Amino acid sequence: MVPTAYLKKIFSTATMVSLSLSLIAGCSTPPASSPASESAPATTPSSSTETPAATANLQPKKGGTITIGIANEPDQLDIHKTGMAVANQIAGNLGASLVTQDPDTLEFKPYLAESWDVSEDGKTWTFKIRTGVKFHDGTSMTAKSIAETYQRALDPATAAKVAGSNLSEVESVESPDDTTLVLHLKQPFAPLLQFLSDPGWLQPLSMQAIAQAGDKYGRQPVGVGPWKFEKWENGQSISFTRNEEFAWADPIFKNQGAPYPDRLVYRFISENQTLLAALDSGSIDIARGVVAKDVAKYRDNPQFEVKEMLRNGLGLFVMLNTRRPVFQEIEVRQALNKAINKEAIMKAVIQGEGVVSYGPLPPSLFGYDEGVKDYGLKYQVDEANALLEKAGYTKNAQGIYEKGGKSLKLDLLTQTGTWAQASQLIQAMLKDIGVEVNIVTLEWGALVDTATKGSFDMTLMGYTLNDPDVLYLFLHSSQADNGLNFSYVKDDKMDQLLEKGRTTVDSAARKDVYTEIQKYVVEQAWWVPIYTEKQFNVVRKPVEGVGIHPLRGLMYHDSWVNQ
Amino acid sequence: MKQYILQRLASGLIVLLGISIFSFALIHLIPGDPIRIMLGENATAEQVHALREQLGLNQPLVTQYFHYLSGVLQGDLGTSFKTGRPVLSEILERFPATVKLAASGMFLAICIGITMGVLAARFKDTFIDFSAMSIATLGVSVPSFWLGILLIMLFTVKLGWLPIAGGTGFRDLVLPAVTLGVLASTVISRLTRAGMVEVLSFDYIRTARAKGLGERAVLFVHAFRNAMIPVVTIIGLQIASLLGGTVIIERVFDWPGLGSLAISSIASRDFPLVQGIILFIGVIFVLVNMLVDIVYSLIDPRIEVGQTKEGAS
Repeated sequence: MVPTAYLKKIFSTATMVSLSLSLIAGCSTPPASSPASESAPATTPSSSTETPAATANLQPKKGGTITIGIANEPDQLDIHKTGMAVANQIAGNLGASLVTQDPDTLEFKPYLAESWDVSEDGKTWTFKIRTGVKFHDGTSMTAKSIAETYQRALDPATAAKVAGSNLSEVESVESPDDTTLVLHLKQPFAPLLQFLSDPGWLQPLSMQAIAQAGDKYGRQPVGVGPWKFEKWENGQSISFTRNEEFAWADPIFKNQGAPYPDRLVYRFISENQTLLAALDSGSIDIARGVVAKDVAKYRDNPQFEVKEMLRNGLGLFVMLNTRRPVFQEIEVRQALNKAINKEAIMKAVIQGEGVVSYGPLPPSLFGYDEGVKDYGLKYQVDEANALLEKAGYTKNAQGIYEKGGKSLKLDLLTQTGTWAQASQLIQAMLKDIGVEVNIVTLEWGALVDTATKGSFDMTLMGYTLNDPDVLYLFLHSSQADNGLNFSYVKDDKMDQLLEKGRTTVDSAARKDVYTEIQKYVVEQAWWVPIYTEKQFNVVRKPVEGVGIHPLRGLMYHDSWVNQ
Repeated sequence: MKQYILQRLASGLIVLLGISIFSFALIHLIPGDPIRIMLGENATAEQVHALREQLGLNQPLVTQYFHYLSGVLQGDLGTSFKTGRPVLSEILERFPATVKLAASGMFLAICIGITMGVLAARFKDTFIDFSAMSIATLGVSVPSFWLGILLIMLFTVKLGWLPIAGGTGFRDLVLPAVTLGVLASTVISRLTRAGMVEVLSFDYIRTARAKGLGERAVLFVHAFRNAMIPVVTIIGLQIASLLGGTVIIERVFDWPGLGSLAISSIASRDFPLVQGIILFIGVIFVLVNMLVDIVYSLIDPRIEVGQTKEGAS
């Protein structure tokens, strides 16, 4: 299966957060199933870059510490061995990427690779690697270091989760000389540049440091990035110090030298109330993953700056299981799409802090088609009824639709937290049109197991990934039996489109493919898309210049402490 | 005495065996698959199968249990699923923070509890008694997270006197220790009062007063010691449970102790770590209980350890 997946750690962190919070019932609000804090989230391109305009007249100063409060602690920082999103977020400070992505245009630009070439057949990618870059342990980074890093990620013995997945279409890696890196692909693979632009998962690693540290490498990582690992206080914090030698900053930043602050500290605060109190009192400077209901008070306070982003994935959608005869009828699928009031759910569950989804992609992802708002299926109860009647259903004495003596009664899988609230609303809305829903609340692992086995009618779902190729994972027939295609879509046209989407390297042509995909998914109505939520971070003065990237989230390289 | 301690240790081992079976069964009953949580949403069936095999989770539960037990007997509590580090070192790394919090919390609880209890008994049925017992009742009823958040709001957010989530230094310790101390003091003060009131009604107290002893001597030399037996029992139990980590307080104050480790390990279904923590807490309970029994005999010479304690009541 084609892996990739921010999903994985995202969901695992989400589960952990919701589980741990539910243990302290009453102490806090159940979190969104979306791990707001951890996924590198997105904003609509128009509002994406907030380069420190307000601070333009201020000259950044050196010194001080920026402390970031975050809910989850990573398992380790060996980026090949972890699968947690939070590990990627934190380890991204230690690393750098081959290419970078402009936060405004989302175009890919050179970074550690000064240039790159793709062969005619799209299967050989040659990168020219810059010189003069050093690892924190003093060794030089060359094309060979990167090749060895990727070979390590691809080695089954490493069992690299996300890093290995991101390189899964790579057949072999070689470095003919110190400045040339060649990736041989199994087939053309459009999302590759996206993955290579991430300073976390695919950053160059020092093989010497890995060999020296042995088993302990995950707790004393080494990279080429602006921050050097300082210490990890178990259960409390991870600290970095400035890499004084850093002279190879990502070109998207104003600051092209070493970071301004002396230290960068991630502090783990799992309790939401405590996180906010820490922010209010100045114990931390930045709170990650603040929930919608808490954001209002910071918006009006000049002491704070709210950095909001749209999740780069669908936050909530319903998957209809087409193994069930009832959902083999397109009219029934369309009817459910028209029976659910997305706006109402979004208002109730996430205080309206998001955008309503009509198709399978959110506005934050490449390939999103604005037109989906027009051709997407809208809330139209009378049309929903008409569609069910067209499919041969009639209402019985209890007002529930039935056909052949069988009433329309469906199970809906959900988990605790915001999903539970959404499922109750869905239940009420479907009841209104004459469909009975039985809510089945499961713990995350059990939900995935049940969905994988196919023993369900409908399930709630969400995803986060920064490339539209995520749809391949959810809708391609090859993913039906053991993958994420829980709807069990086996459709030739869909397969062809998804394959075309991942192998079309030209971005204009690729965008057209995804437009077609969105139209087709809406038409076939295998899913009921509901919303994509905003994710919030709050920055406290005197920290200035915190940037935001639509796909990577908060960026600290232009940040400084105004003290 | 020596024989008694050996006996207690032997019965303690049986208790621990029971705890290990119970905790093992319990954690496997909680819904939630550690493999799914670890591999996440995107894992293939093959990956799940491979990791299950690697961690030995595909074997029958009984086999898994005996495998675990034989490790424990050799001093190996296994390795954490999440971090891959030895369970014992994960626990020992967090334990000092918990000891620090428990010790300071208990110290405050004993100071507050005994003072209030003795005062309430001495001034029984007066305004002092009434106030002390009202506070105690209130303290028992207040949830710890509520008191904790209230103290944070006041002393950290409003007044800015004390930090939050800053580490385990002295200033960081104050708020969680006070929360813990205030809440734990309530039981101690009620028991102290009850014990003192009972003892103060005994004939020998009347005799002591009659022979002209000062009130302070009566209270602290004659009455106090005899009233302390139930108080010591409850203090012992409280210490034992506090050493197991105060889950809610540690979470509210972001205190990196055993309690917060327990929560996060349960959330990630980190079986070896959860079992290790439960077993560790079990050992503490057994040891503290034994110590409490020994302390009885020091307080009340009528009680001899190893014999039935009819004098204890």
